[in-house]
Amino acid sequence: MASIVQVSKLDKYFGRLHVLKQVSMDVAPREVVCIIGRSGSGKSTLLRCINFLEEPSFGTIEVDGLKVDASQKSRERRQLVHDVRLKTGMVFQEFNLFPHMSVLENVIEGPVTVKGMDRAKAVALAEENLDSVGLLFKKDEYPNRLSGGQKQRVAIARALTMEPRVMLFDEPTSALDPELIGEVLNVMKKVAKDGMTMLVVTHEMGFAREVADRVLVMADGEIIEDSKPDNLFSKPKDPRTKALIDRYRTGSG
Amino acid sequence: MHPDTAASLPNSATSQAELLYQAQQRKDRQFQVFVGATWLIILLFLVFLFSGPIKIDRQFVADNLLFVAGGLGETIRISIVSITFATLLALLAALGRLSPIPPVYALSTFYVSLIRGTPLYLQIFFFFLALPQLGIILPGFWAGVIALSLNYGAYMSEIFRAGLSSVGKGQREAAIALGMTPWQTMRRVVLPQALRFAIPPTGNEFIAMTKDSALVAATGFVHELMWRATKVGRAQFHNLEALIMAAIFYWIMTLILTALQSRIESRLSKGDR
Repeated sequence: MASIVQVSKLDKYFGRLHVLKQVSMDVAPREVVCIIGRSGSGKSTLLRCINFLEEPSFGTIEVDGLKVDASQKSRERRQLVHDVRLKTGMVFQEFNLFPHMSVLENVIEGPVTVKGMDRAKAVALAEENLDSVGLLFKKDEYPNRLSGGQKQRVAIARALTMEPRVMLFDEPTSALDPELIGEVLNVMKKVAKDGMTMLVVTHEMGFAREVADRVLVMADGEIIEDSKPDNLFSKPKDPRTKALIDRYRTGSG
Repeated sequence: MHPDTAASLPNSATSQAELLYQAQQRKDRQFQVFVGATWLIILLFLVFLFSGPIKIDRQFVADNLLFVAGGLGETIRISIVSITFATLLALLAALGRLSPIPPVYALSTFYVSLIRGTPLYLQIFFFFLALPQLGIILPGFWAGVIALSLNYGAYMSEIFRAGLSSVGKGQREAAIALGMTPWQTMRRVVLPQALRFAIPPTGNEFIAMTKDSALVAATGFVHELMWRATKVGRAQFHNLEALIMAAIFYWIMTLILTALQSRIESRLSKGDR
């Protein structure tokens, strides 16, 4: 099957720090891929390079047929990057809802401002997505009146309302109180079930094991393992993977 | 602690807390009463001073009160026009200060440095007295407005810079990830939040400006409060009465604006931030 996301030989430097080293990977349509690794392993940077929130130093990224080279610099490339962003929805660790807009306004902002969608149509779409994350009854609230878990579910609805081909999740539950993690993971499972292609940077091993089709393990700016979750958790190949899994196993009790 | 005393503790502890709370409340009230009373005493003392020991020509006050009060409108007009331009300039200067484009950054920092490095009084004279030498003749009102706008714009750029910086990086990233252009990100996400942050300090600047507008009287052609007070005061050698009248008008204006300001502030803080 043709892949929908393809990263080839990606390098990223922060100053002199080499955070991604010739990273290549791909994601098939409807696939759910989790990226795990210790902090500083480069997993978030890899995700953020895919929609160009971070500018890669070298390499190529292809999203749904749009191929962007790191080295290009031109007007067409800016347009290409913009198009890639329209094909990807992003969910952040810190939610990043717009505090001056109500929940509904947050969710229709993208379609109306960026796509020029008719407001009534955007509202209908937004309400559908808010309903599917279980927060339609909060549509007129402002974000500061929501719990962390609710904020993140709105953020997911906001990204979905742009009708992306791929959803990128950057540690979506890391800023949440433990008792609120479940509701966000449940929404993510639902999104996966609906056939969305998902790339998820996470520390939630349970989620990775249960939902992911594939798990990538990153360490020191490289992908050190790429396997089915069952294989990964039962017989990790790399000692660093084993250490990572053991740490979470003991960590979660 | 002994179980018996522990059992009786909750009740006595609440009443003790209640007593402490009431004592604190009493203390706060006392403080406010003292402050109010002292204000009143100072005011009464001033009234006494000017009704007996210091000779005030009441006839002069009665004759000229309306004339001096007639300057209020002009003072408010200069201040409103100037704060409008100053706000625009401040916003531009703040954006320039955050710009990655060297000439834009340079223009902004140069403007702020030059204006903050020279007196407002000089700037007013410059636009009124120096420009005519270059063939540019400005009416006193506009010379004053330009000088006040440029001056306050430079100082206020710092407020807007802080406002723009108060909008977190995550907000911009969320906008960019939705596919917004830099201009859309600024207009839809960053500016609304930055402006809300900047409204209270802008109010403070406006209050300060109503008083600095008095400097425009120096041009001799803007008939605002200060100009009117000095005109009648000098002509009849009653500067004491004239200046006291003007002072009272400025003061009342400031009190009203400050009250408005704190209402706006409390409404904003109740909002959705």
